[in-house]
Amino acid sequence: MVLSAPVASSATILTLPLASSLRMSGISITCFAASYSVVLLLEISRLLFRSGIRGAIMLGFAAAGLLAHTIFLVERAVSASGYPLSSEQDWYVVAAWVLAALYLYLTAYHRDNAFGVFLLPLVLGLVAAGAWLADPTPFTRRPALLVWGVVHGTSLMLATVAIFVGFAAGLMYLAQDRRLKKKLPPLRGLRLPSLEWLRKANSRAVGVALIFLGIGILAGVVLNMIYSRSDGTQLDWTDPVVLATLFMFCWLTISGGVSALYKPAREGRKVAFLTVLSFIFLICLLAIGFFFDTEHRKLKVEHETSPPVLSSSAMDDEGGTPR
Amino acid sequence: MKLQVVGVSHHNAPISVRERLAFTNGQARAAIGQWREELSDCEMVLLSTCNRTELYAAAETEVNLTPERITEFLIGFHDLTRDDIGKHLFTYDGEEAIRHLFTVASSLDSMVVGEAQILSQVKQAYQLATEEQATGPLTHAAFQGAIKAARRVAGETTVHQRRVSIPSVAVADFARQIFERFEDKTTLVIGAGEMAEETIRYLRDEGVRQITVVNRSRERAIELADRWQGQALDWGQLESALAEADLVVSTTGADEPIVTSECFGRIEAVRGQRPLFVLDLAVPRDFDPEIANRPEVYLYSIDDLSAACTRNRMARDKQLPSAHKIIEQETERFMADLHHRATGPVIRRLRQGWQKPKEEELERLFNKLPDLNDLERDEIRQAFDRLVNKLLHPPLESLRDESRHGIPSALMEALSRLFQLKD
Repeated sequence: MVLSAPVASSATILTLPLASSLRMSGISITCFAASYSVVLLLEISRLLFRSGIRGAIMLGFAAAGLLAHTIFLVERAVSASGYPLSSEQDWYVVAAWVLAALYLYLTAYHRDNAFGVFLLPLVLGLVAAGAWLADPTPFTRRPALLVWGVVHGTSLMLATVAIFVGFAAGLMYLAQDRRLKKKLPPLRGLRLPSLEWLRKANSRAVGVALIFLGIGILAGVVLNMIYSRSDGTQLDWTDPVVLATLFMFCWLTISGGVSALYKPAREGRKVAFLTVLSFIFLICLLAIGFFFDTEHRKLKVEHETSPPVLSSSAMDDEGGTPR
Repeated sequence: MKLQVVGVSHHNAPISVRERLAFTNGQARAAIGQWREELSDCEMVLLSTCNRTELYAAAETEVNLTPERITEFLIGFHDLTRDDIGKHLFTYDGEEAIRHLFTVASSLDSMVVGEAQILSQVKQAYQLATEEQATGPLTHAAFQGAIKAARRVAGETTVHQRRVSIPSVAVADFARQIFERFEDKTTLVIGAGEMAEETIRYLRDEGVRQITVVNRSRERAIELADRWQGQALDWGQLESALAEADLVVSTTGADEPIVTSECFGRIEAVRGQRPLFVLDLAVPRDFDPEIANRPEVYLYSIDDLSAACTRNRMARDKQLPSAHKIIEQETERFMADLHHRATGPVIRRLRQGWQKPKEEELERLFNKLPDLNDLERDEIRQAFDRLVNKLLHPPLESLRDESRHGIPSALMEALSRLFQLKD
C-alpha cells in the first residue's frame, strides 16, 4: 500500500524492456523522452542566447512529446494483458505524463518563465525510472479489487506528482529568494515566477499531496484487509515501504498543521524547504521500493504467481499501480 | 514620392517648447481634419507625446510638400511664430525620415531608451490618422514597417528589458519578482520626496491601490496622499503602518535611521513574517541595513539600485549596436521596397508588352491546330506563360537589385527605350 512497486522477476524485466518495446504506431518511450530532452536543451539554451523562435519550437517539441506519450500510453492500455496501465512501469510513465502536461500548460501560459529547467529533469527522471528500474508486468485481471487498486495507485501517483511539483516550485522559490536577497538582476534566460506565485504553488502542492497520500493510504488499508480475509496474507505495518509512506504522511500532516495554525510557518522559505525535504523523503521511499526486498513486494509477487483461492472478491491483489 | 518629418523632441527642444507644440487627442484629431482640408493630396500622421511632437507627411506625387509648408501648418495650428520654435525644429526627408521613425518606434530615441510606452503611442497616432482617413499607401507602409522594426528590436535584443532609472528597476526587477499582484497590497510611503512620487507612479501602473503616507509634516503627507487617493497618517503611527505594509518607499531627510533593527523586531512580531519590500531611497538610509538579513524582508537602498541600474545600462548599451543594426536592415529593406514601387509602371508595361504577342501567337497556334482538346490547350498556354515569365525574370531582377540603391531611373529609361514601352 505504499509508494513502491510491484515486482516481477528480473527475467520478466529483461524480456519486456519498456524502452525498446515498439507499439503499433511505432512510438516507443525513446520518442517522447527524446522530445522532452530537446525541450530541456532548448530551455537551458535560454541562458546562453536569445532567439525569437525558440519559444514556438519548445512548445512544438513539448506538444509533440506529450502527444507521443499519450499515444504510447493508450496503446499500452489497449494491449495490456492484465489491468490497463497497472504495472509499476506504467505508474511512472503516467506520472511523467501528468508532469509533462503540467509543464506544457505552464509554459504556454507563462512563456517567459523557465519552468522547464526545473520540471523537465523530473519528467525525464520518472521516465528513466519507469524504463530502467520499474517492473513492466501488469496486474492480472481480477475485477473485484479494481476500484480499490485504481484508487490506491492513482492517488499515490498524483501525490507523487504533487510532491514533484512542490519540489520544483521550492527550488525556484529558493533561487528567486537568493537572487532578491543578493540584489542581483534577473538572470538572462532564467526568468522565474514571483515569490508570491511560487509560495502559493508550493502550499497547494503540499495540500494536494497530503490529500492524495491520505486517500492512497486508506485504499491500501482496505486492500490489505481484503487480502487478509482472502488467504490470510497480510502486509505488516512495520514493512519499510509502509512505514516510510506513513512517515511521509505524518510529516506532511504535521508540517501542514503547523503551517495552518502558526502563521510564520506558512511563509516562503519554510514552505520551500518543506517541499524540498518532502521530495527527498519521496525519493528514499521510491528507492526502498526499487532496491529492498520488502514484504510489500513479496506480497505482490505471491499474489501474482498463486491462483486465487476464494472468490475473486476476496482474493485479488492490489489491482492498481504502485503500492 | 515624398516622405518627410518635421518636429521637436527632447533632444533639441526644452520642455517649454515641447509643451507649446504638443497636441491633445482632440487637438490631434482637429489638426488632421485641418490638414486634409489644406493638403488633401498628402498623407499625414501626427505623433505627440510628452517628449516629442512629430508630423510625418507623405505624398505619392510631386505636390507642394516642403518642410516649410509642414512647419507653417504646425506653428499655425498653435498660433505660434517661427521665432518661437523655429530653431528647435528638426526635419528629415526620405530615408532619413524612415530611419528616424523606426528608431523612435523602437524606443531607441526615447529619453529612457527601451521604455515600452512609445510603441503604443506610435500605434495610437497611426490609428488616429487612419480613422481620420489621413493615411495612405506610403504612411501605411512606413508605420507598419516601424511596428515591425520595433518588434524585431524587442524580440531580438534585450534593450527593452533593461530598466535604467531607479524607480523602474526597483519595481520591475525586484518588486514584481516578489509580488504577483499589487491590487491587494498596501504601500507605505515614508517622507514625501520626488523619487517616492515617481516610484508610486510605477507602482500604480502595476496596480497598487492602497497607499498610506507618513511624513513628519502632516500637511505634506495629506497633500501627497490626496494626489494618489491614499490616506495620510501621523508620524507616531509609523510602526503600526509598517506592520500593515507590503511595500515601503522611504525618502525622508532624517540624518539617522528611522527604522532600527530593534524597532523592526517589534514590527516583525506583529507582521508574522509576511514578505516586505522596502525601497530605501534616502541618503543617509532610513532603514538599518541589518534589517535586510531578516527573513522575508527585501531591502534595497539607493546604492543597491544604482548598481543594478549601472549593470542594466551597461548590458543595454551592449545591445544597442544590434538594435541599430536591425533599424538599418529594416530601413534598407523599406527603401528598397519603396524604390521598387516606383518601377511598378515600367514592370506593368513590360508585362503587358509581352502579354499581347503571347496571346496573338497562342491564338494563331490554336487556329492551326483545331483538334487540340482543352487539356492540351492548357498545357500549351502554361508553357507560353512559363516562357514569358522566364524571359521577364532577368530584367525584373535587375530592377529589384537596382532598387536597393535608389529609384533605378536610368534602368527604367533603358528598359522603356529597349522594349519601346509607352504610357
